[in-house]
Amino acid sequence: MTQGFSPTSTRRGTLAGIAAGAATLAMPRIARAQSEIIRIGFPTPLTGPFAAEAKDQVKSAELAVKQINDKGGVAGRKVELLVRDDKLNAGEAATRTLELIEKDKVHAIVGALSSAVQLAVNEVTRARGVIYVSISQSDTINEVKDFSRFTFHEALNPHMTTAAVAKHTFKKGSKIAYLVADYAYGHEMLRGFKRAQEALGATSVGEILHPFGAADYSTFMPRLRSMRPDILCICNFGRDQANAIKQAVDFGMNRQARIVVPVLLHNQRLAIGPEAFDGVVGGANYYWGLEDTIPSAKAFNDAFKAAHDGAYPTDYGAYGYTGVYSLLLAMQKAGGTETDKVIAALEELKYDVAKGPQHYRKCDHQSVQSVLVLESKKKGEMKNPADLFKVLATEPASEDILRTCKELGFPA
Amino acid sequence: MTASTSSLPAAARAPRSPWRARLTAWRVPLSILALCLLPWLLPSQALAVNVLIYGLLAVGYNLLFGYTGLLSFGHAAFFGAGAYVTGIAIGQFGLPWFAAMLLGVAFGGALAFLVGLLSIRTRGIYFSMVTLALSQLVYYTALQASSWTGGENGLRGFTVSTINVFGWAIDILDPVKKYYVLMVFAAAALWFVSRVLNSPFGAVIEAVRENETRARACGYDVERTKLLSFTLSGVIGALAGTLFALHLAIVPLDILSIHTSGMVVMMTLLGGAGSFFGPFVGALAFLLMEDVVSLWTSHWQIVVGTVFILFVLFLPKGIWGTALAALAGRGGR
Repeated sequence: MTQGFSPTSTRRGTLAGIAAGAATLAMPRIARAQSEIIRIGFPTPLTGPFAAEAKDQVKSAELAVKQINDKGGVAGRKVELLVRDDKLNAGEAATRTLELIEKDKVHAIVGALSSAVQLAVNEVTRARGVIYVSISQSDTINEVKDFSRFTFHEALNPHMTTAAVAKHTFKKGSKIAYLVADYAYGHEMLRGFKRAQEALGATSVGEILHPFGAADYSTFMPRLRSMRPDILCICNFGRDQANAIKQAVDFGMNRQARIVVPVLLHNQRLAIGPEAFDGVVGGANYYWGLEDTIPSAKAFNDAFKAAHDGAYPTDYGAYGYTGVYSLLLAMQKAGGTETDKVIAALEELKYDVAKGPQHYRKCDHQSVQSVLVLESKKKGEMKNPADLFKVLATEPASEDILRTCKELGFPA
Repeated sequence: MTASTSSLPAAARAPRSPWRARLTAWRVPLSILALCLLPWLLPSQALAVNVLIYGLLAVGYNLLFGYTGLLSFGHAAFFGAGAYVTGIAIGQFGLPWFAAMLLGVAFGGALAFLVGLLSIRTRGIYFSMVTLALSQLVYYTALQASSWTGGENGLRGFTVSTINVFGWAIDILDPVKKYYVLMVFAAAALWFVSRVLNSPFGAVIEAVRENETRARACGYDVERTKLLSFTLSGVIGALAGTLFALHLAIVPLDILSIHTSGMVVMMTLLGGAGSFFGPFVGALAFLLMEDVVSLWTSHWQIVVGTVFILFVLFLPKGIWGTALAALAGRGGR
C-alpha cells in the first residue's frame, strides 16, 4: 500500500514482503546490525482539516533529522524519517503504525495530531514495546490508564495550557462564556479552563457546544451575547477557530468581551489576518519571536529559514522538531536504539533545542516545558508578515503547572 | 442487479459454461487459496488484514445487496457493534478472546435482527434511509456512552497478544500469524455464505431480488426471507467487526460512521455485486487505490470517486463480475 510509490515497485514489494515474512517466521527477534540506518516512523494527517499543521510538523521533523545526520548521526548511524498520512483517522493511523513497525521495522514512532489518533497509535506501540513520542495535545494520554513506559508526551497538555492562559486573562469576578467544539479536544480544554476559573475566583455564565467542523456560528452569537460575559472563551481547533473568531468579531463580541482561546494558532491567524484576531489572547508551545530572548529558538528559526526559503517555523511545526530532536538526543546518549536504554536516557534527558529547557517527567513522561501566552498584533505593529504575536507572558517550565502524579493515578 | 431474465432462480444460477461451473463448484477452496496468498502479494501484512476484514464485511453485505437486492446504508452499525462488544468484553469483563468474539457476533446479529424488523417494511430508497437513520442512532449512542465505549477517543485497553488454541499459544502480535488466525474465521464465514447460497433459501433470496411479487405468488414468505437475509448479513458484518477489534486492538468511533457504510457499498459495487468472490476483489481494489492515489495527491477522493462512477456507468458487474463474464464467453451471464 504505502510502498506502492510507483507501479514498478510492486514486484520488489512482493519479494520484500516474502523475505520479511520468512524472516519474521524464522526468527522473531532480528539482531540489528550497528551500521543499520535508524528509522523513525512519522504518521501525521497530511490530508484533512489539520493538513497545514501536519505539513509544518513534517518540515520541522525533517530538519531535526537533517541536523543530527549532518553532525554524524546517532552513534555513527544515519537517521531516516518515514512520513505516512494517517488521514486524521484513528483506524488508519493504527494501520499505518502497524505497517511502520512490522514492515519498515522502525525503531521509534513520533507524530499524530489529534487526541483519538494519538491514543490509537499509543495502543499499538504500547503492545509492541516500541517507543512513541506523541506531539499532540491530550490530557488522557498522561493518565495511568493509557500510560505506557514506551510513550513520551512532547506536546503541551490541555491542563497546563489552560492554566497558563487563565492565569494571565481571568480575574477575580470575571464572567466567562464558553463556545466549545463538541469533541475530546474541546471538552478537555473546557475542563481545564473551568478548573482554573474556580481557583481564580471567576465564574462561568454559560457554555455552548458546537459540532466539530462547523462553518456557521451565527446562531450561537446572540445567545453568547445575552450571557453578558467579560471574556468569551472559544475552545476549538484548526479552521473552526478562525471561523468562530471571525464571526464573533462580525457580531461585535470583541467590543463587549475579550476573546480568549486555549491555543492561538499560527496558521489560522496567518490565514485570516490581523483585523479579526485583534486583541485575541491564547496559549502556545512555541512562537518564533522567542528568538529575542532564547538562543536555541534563534538557532532553530535560522536553520528552518535556511531550509525553507525564509519561512518561519510555526507552533505545531515546532512539536515535530522538539519531539524528534529529543528522541534522537536520547538515542545518542544511549549509544543506539536499544529500547530500555533509550527510555532511561529520555527519562534523564535535559534538553533545550528550540524553546528553553525541557525534560520528561518520570511518572507520566510528560514534557515539562514553558507555556507562552500570546496576543495577536495589530497590523501597524507587525514588522513582517510572519510577525503575528506579542508574547504577553511566559509560564516557566515547572512541574507545578502539571497535575500531580498522584492525581493522574500513579503510585506515589 | 444482474441481467438475468430466467424465471427459475435455480436455472438462472446454473452456469452455462463448463469453466464457470467448475469455478462455482470450487469457489470456497479457490477463495481460501487466494486469501492464503494475499499477505505475500500485498506490500504489507497490515493491508492484507484490512482487505480480509473489509472483504468479509463486503461479502456479508453482498448477501443482502447483491443476492437479496436490498440496498442497506447502515452496515457500519453491525460491523461496529461486533468490534465494540468484543473490545468491551475483553477489556472490561476480562472474557477470553473466543467468548468475546462469540458475544460480539451474537450482539451484532441481534442488532441486525432488530434493525431488520424495523426497516424491511419499507422499500427502495426508504429502506436505505431507514437503515441509515438507525445506524446513525447506534453511532450517537456509542458517542454518548463514553464510559463504555471511550466516546470520541475510541475504545482502548484490550490488546490480545497471545491466544490459546487447544493448549497451543499463538503470538498474534506477529503479523503473519495474526493474518492466518483471522483468516480461519473468514474462511469459515465464506464456506457458510457459500452453503447458504447453494441452499433452497439461497434460491429464494434471489427469487425475491428478481421478482418479489412472483416470489410471493409462489408462496414464499418474502418478509421473513428478507429479515433472515438481513440478519445473516449483519452476523457476517459483526464477525468482520470482531476481527477488526482483534487486529487493531482499538475501536475508533469512525468505524460506526456513515463513511464505513458507504465504503462497503462502494467495495461491493466495485468488485461485483451478486458474485461470490467479487466483494473481496472490491475491498482489495478500493484499499489499494485509496492508498496509492493518496500518495500522489491529497484530493484522492476525487480520483476514487471518478473510478467508482465509471464502474457504475460502464462496468455495472464490477471487476470480478466482468472478469467472470469474459471468462465464460458470450454465453455466460
